[in-house]
Parts: sequence; structure tokens; C-alpha cells
Amino acid sequence: MAENFKRNDGLPPAMTRLVKELSRLPGIGEKTASRLAFNLLNRPRDEVIALAEALLEMKERIGLCGECFGLSDAPRCPICADPDREHDLICVVEGPADLMAIERARTFAGVYHVLHGAIAPLDGIGPDDIKIAELTARVQGAAAVREIIIATNATVEGEATALYLARALKPLGVKASRLARGLPAGGDLEYSDSATLTSAISGRREL
Amino acid sequence: MPAEESTPAIVLRARDYSESDRIVTLLTRDCGKLGGIAKGAKSSRRRFERKLEPLTHLTLFFRRRPHGDLVFITRAEPPPAPAPILDDDLGKIALASYIAELADALTGEAADSADAYLMVARAFDALGRSGASAAMRQSFELNLLRVAGFGLEFARCRVCGNSPSEAGAAAYFVVARGGVVCARCRAHAPEGAVRLSPANAAAMAELAGAPVEDAARMTDAGAEGALALARFLGSILDRRLRSAALLDSLM
Repeated sequence: MAENFKRNDGLPPAMTRLVKELSRLPGIGEKTASRLAFNLLNRPRDEVIALAEALLEMKERIGLCGECFGLSDAPRCPICADPDREHDLICVVEGPADLMAIERARTFAGVYHVLHGAIAPLDGIGPDDIKIAELTARVQGAAAVREIIIATNATVEGEATALYLARALKPLGVKASRLARGLPAGGDLEYSDSATLTSAISGRREL
Repeated sequence: MPAEESTPAIVLRARDYSESDRIVTLLTRDCGKLGGIAKGAKSSRRRFERKLEPLTHLTLFFRRRPHGDLVFITRAEPPPAPAPILDDDLGKIALASYIAELADALTGEAADSADAYLMVARAFDALGRSGASAAMRQSFELNLLRVAGFGLEFARCRVCGNSPSEAGAAAYFVVARGGVVCARCRAHAPEGAVRLSPANAAAMAELAGAPVEDAARMTDAGAEGALALARFLGSILDRRLRSAALLDSLM
């Protein structure tokens, strides 16, 4: 009977479950999830166990640094615990990926504060939904903060967050600065959008 | 393949989709409110002006798809006139976000939303020039409600037709009547009517009758006017606007 025919994807339930779980990940559709599942099926057992253990260990051990709220497997992350970093210079970023990007540049010797989001009025995300209160408490509790560099993204949400932070930090008497906006290194003027060029012209510097 | 179309547009909403695509909702001058997908929008500033960020004013190029609700956005270029700068002030961002969300909530997908597009474009221009104010918010709310078919009446009593200020007393805004009743007709106002002082009722009448560009030099209708508008919007919208919380905290 056609109406009693049960649709089958041709996979054993364990594979179907793995495909389903993998396809929950961002950027991974069902086809990619199937390819990954078959790849894992064909890998040696010890490699698959290592992957499973790494996933579990990550979930069990990784938390947030009590000082900067970056990812950490200890109460203080290696950056906050490093005595050679400039602890009176704080760079505020939206997320851990932004912290990693700045660290890759190897030019910043201060410490960080991770907001875990940005003020997004259209999504109903306000100042209380990200770690702004934690930043002001940190500044008030610190012996001295020389400067706070606001390194939120150059998006509407990033600008809203930066402007809110500037307001919140002003009464605390701490110097706040914003990352410059303009042309990317190696970028051609010809291929720049009008908003970037406007920022580059208004933020030009004397030679 | 469907022909490429183009129209001035304002991005009301945007969300990331997969690694580099974006799904956006746009209010356009010529084609109503559109939902569209922009392939590679997160990685190509050259093809997509400001990466189709919310509140961006642009010239949209798109193709309709035979199946599916979303149009295929091929590129987005700067608008014909310079776009207002909205991201240099928190009040501007908060009010522009509210304007975009309210326009999204009050406009349908029909192609006759050109008036709503023009209203938002003019409000953004005024906001870029003069900054955010309570008068601008109330002016936009009143003007967009009129465009959407909800013309609120503050200059005449909804019962007797006289000017509420003639009595020199307070007026009462009644949601169900879409306007005010004067002090003499107060018996027609239910318990929940919002009391408006003579000055605030006059300010509402003035704001309702003036273009949004003039709001910067006008007086707002105070907390009473804001409450009247919030009550009316609450009666026609099925949810509280998300952007209202930040805006309310700033003004």
C-alpha cells in the first residue's frame, strides 16, 4: 500500500542521527553533513574517539575568564594572567573571534573585554543583554585604566554599542577611543564602497 | 530569466544566511516591500553597498524568482542623492531603528507603499540633519499612521467637531475613536482615555498636520502625547516593537 510506505533515507539510524546533529551546525546543510558523516565512518576508530573526546572536553572545560569574559579553561585566561601585558589598556570587542583576530595581528599588548554581543535595537538586544555593566564595574574596580579602545564592528550595531560605551565610560573619567575606519591595506580606491570612502576622507591624517 | 529591475530602497531588516549571504527586507519606492536574498553580500562591499546593513539607503538591483517569495538581489549601489549619516549618534541609531521597524510593521507587501518609502526616506534625511528628538518620533508616528490609513484626529473633537482648544480645557484621546474628544463631550470618553493638556493636544494637532521635515523645530506633545500614540500603536500592532526599549531609555 502506497499510503503505508514509510519514507527511508537509506541510512542506518545511527548515521541518520549523526547527519541530523551535524546539520545543526552553522553553514552545514544536509548534504555537507552526509559527506562529513561518511568521512567519519571511514576514519580509523582512534581518530573518531579523539574527535568525540575533544568535543566533550571543550564543552566540559571551556568557560569564561572571570576578568575579561573571553574563552578560558581557567578562572583567568592566559592573557589576563600574563604580567607582561599592559593591564591598564583594555580593548573592548564584541566576541571571542574578534579577540583572536586582534591577537593574530600581534600589535596589541593590552588586555581585552569581551561583550558577547552588540546593542541591536532591531533585534531587541539592549545594553543589559551584553557585558557592559561588567566593563564599567571592572573600570571602577581597577587601580588605574589608561585607555579603553572600543573595537566593535563597523556595523550599525557596532556603532550603537561604541556610542553607548562612550556615554557609559564618560562619567568614569577614563579615556575611550574607537578603531579607525577607512581603506583596508592593499585595497584599491576603485573597488571601495561609498561608505568606506566617506570614512576614509573624513578620517584622513596629515603627513 | 526574469529581467533585472531596479528601484531606490531602504533596508529595514537584515540577517546573515549561511557563510556569506544575507536575507534582507527592503522598503522600495517602486516595488513595495520586498524580501530578498543577496548571495555573497557579507564578502562583497563592491557589489553590495554597505553590505546591505539595516537603515542603509541604496539603489537596489534584483530579479524576481519564478518560485519562492524572496527576490534575487544582484547588486546594490549608492542612492541617487547622498545618504544621511545616521550612525554617528546613539539617538539617531535608536530612532532610525524604530522608524524602520514601525514602517515594517505598518506596511504590506503591495506595490503601493511608495508613500511609506518616501516617509521613511524623508524622516531619515531629517534625522541625519537635525538629530533625534521626541517631536520627530511623534511626527513620524502620526505621519506614517496617516499613510497607513489611520489618520488620527487631534484638531477636532470626534464627537462635536469643535476644536478642543476652544474650551480651553484638556482633551481626551480615545483609541477606539482614533482621535480626541473635547472636555464638553467627555462623557463619550471611556475610563482609559488619555488626558492631553491643551498645550499637548495642540502640539499633537500641529505635528499631525506638518511634514516630518518640520519636526525638528516643533514642540513635542510630552509624555501624554507619547502615551496616546503608544496606546494606539499597541491596539493595531500584535507585538511591542523591539527597538522601542532602547529608544524609550534615551528619550
